[in-house]
Amino acid sequence: MEPKVNGQLQTEWGWLIAIYLFLGGVGAGAYTIAAFNGLIGGDLAASTAVGLWIGFPALLIGSGCLVADLGAPQKAMLAGIKVGSSWIARGFWIISIFMILSLIHLIMHLSDATGGAITVVSILGIIFAIGTMAYTGVLLSASKGIPFWRAGVVPMVFVISAIVTGHFLVMLLVSFGSDAGASLQKLAGEGIIIVVLEVLVILFFLQSAYKIPDSRESAARILRRPSFVIGYFVVGLILPFVLMLAVYRAEVPSTGLVILGALLGLAGGLILRQAILITGALPTWNMGGFQFRRIHRPKEPKPGIGLMPPK
Amino acid sequence: MTRYGMVIDLKRCYGCYGCMMACKTANHTPPGVFWSRVLKGETGTFPNAVRQALPVLCMHCDKPSCEEVCPTGATYQQDDGIVLVDKDKCIGCKYCMMACPYGARYSVEEWESYFPDGLELTPYEEFTKKAWEEKSGCGVATKCDFCKDRIDDGRDPACVEVCAAKARTFGDLDDENSEVSILIKKYRGTPLNPELGNEPRVYYLNPR
Repeated sequence: MEPKVNGQLQTEWGWLIAIYLFLGGVGAGAYTIAAFNGLIGGDLAASTAVGLWIGFPALLIGSGCLVADLGAPQKAMLAGIKVGSSWIARGFWIISIFMILSLIHLIMHLSDATGGAITVVSILGIIFAIGTMAYTGVLLSASKGIPFWRAGVVPMVFVISAIVTGHFLVMLLVSFGSDAGASLQKLAGEGIIIVVLEVLVILFFLQSAYKIPDSRESAARILRRPSFVIGYFVVGLILPFVLMLAVYRAEVPSTGLVILGALLGLAGGLILRQAILITGALPTWNMGGFQFRRIHRPKEPKPGIGLMPPK
Repeated sequence: MTRYGMVIDLKRCYGCYGCMMACKTANHTPPGVFWSRVLKGETGTFPNAVRQALPVLCMHCDKPSCEEVCPTGATYQQDDGIVLVDKDKCIGCKYCMMACPYGARYSVEEWESYFPDGLELTPYEEFTKKAWEEKSGCGVATKCDFCKDRIDDGRDPACVEVCAAKARTFGDLDDENSEVSILIKKYRGTPLNPELGNEPRVYYLNPR
C-alpha cells in the first residue's frame, strides 16, 4: 500500500545539526584513515599528515554548529552532566577526548616524534574517532520519537559514511601535494571498497525502513527527494565510485578526477545527513481501531487564511 | 504515595478543542505551542466512515524517554510522577523533542505575535508573553506540567476542568478508590501505543 506522506516531520534539527554530524564524521573519519595509514606506514604514510590536520579543526567547527543550534548556548558546558543515560552527554565527552587526542597526535607528528608514545596515541585516537563516528548515528537511533532513526543500522550508516567522507577529504588534500600519484592510486583502491560498503548499507537501511510501517513514511519521503536520489546517491556516491575506479585503473592517475570525485563524495555525505534529519516523521498513534497523526504544515502561515491578510 | 494520572473517555470526547483553548489560556503558551491538543482520526470508507477525536498531552510516563536523553538533568520526574523541565538547566538541545514518542514537547526560539508582521503586541499578548517567560521561556524545552500550580491549589488541570463532556478525569492512580483507578479498571483503560514501553500515565477508554 502506498504510504501516506502527510505526517508531522521534525523541524527542530536542520542544517546546523546536519553540518555538526557531517563534520564530526568527516573529522573522525579522516583521522582514522590518517592514523591507520600512519600505523601501517608504506606508500600511504603521505596521507597521515593531511588527515591529522583535519580531525581537530573539523570537530571544533562542528561543535560550534551544535552550540549555535542550542536554544540557550550560554549553558552549553552543562551538556556533559548526565552521561549515565544521555547520548548527547556521552558524545560531549567522546568528542572532547577525541579532540584532545587528535591535537596531541598532530603536535607529536609535527615534532617528528617516533616510538611507542605516538603508537599509543594513534591507537587511542582511533578508538575515540570510531566512537565519534558511531556517536553521530547512535544519537539519532536513540531518539524514540522518530521511528525512521530508530533502526539499528543507522549508526552503521553514519560510521561508513564518516569513513568514506573522511577518506575523500584526505584524498582531496593529498592530491594537492607534489608526487602524490602512487598514494592516490592506493587511496582510490581503498575508496572503492568503502564506497561499495556504503552502497550496501544504505540500500539495506532504506529497504528495512520501508518495511516497518512507522518508518515507511520517512523512507517514502527520502526516496521522493531528488536531492537524495540524484544529489546523494547518484552524484555523491555512484559517480565518485566510477571516478575512483578510473583513477585506480589509470597508469597515471588524474588529479582532476580525484578532486572532482572527492568533492562530490563530500557533498553527498552532507546531503545524506540533512536528508535523514529532515525526513524524520513522528509516529502514528493507534487507539480503538483509529490511526491518529499530526499533519505536517509548513511553519509559515499561508497569506489569506484566518487572520493573515493576502500580501 | 500519590501518583497522578488522567483518564480520557473517548466515547465522551466530541472534539470541541475546549481543552486546547483552556490550556493555552491557563499556561500562556505562545503561538504554535499546544501542550494539550486534539487530533482527529477516521476509519472506514464512505458512506460508513467514522470520525474520532483524540485529545493528547504529555503522558507523564513512568519511564519518560525525554528524561532519559536529557544531557543536563533539566527534565526530571517528581515523586508524584509529574515530569517537569527546569528552565535554568535546559540548554535547548531539543533532544527530548526527538525522544518523546508522543510529540508532546515544544521549543520556541522567540515569541511571535498572533497577528501579521509589523503589528505591535496587544496588551494581552504582552501579558501572556511575560507570564510565559517567567514560567518557561524561549529557547528551552517546554511541555504540559499537568497544571502543577493548580494541583497544588487543590484544583484539577485546566483541560479537565473545562471539558464540557466530562471526558477527562484526573486523580491518583495509586489510590484504588480514586475515580481514575475505578475507570481504568472498570472500562479497561489503555495508554496510547503501550508497545513503546514508556508506560504513560494518561489512559484512554475505548471509543467503541
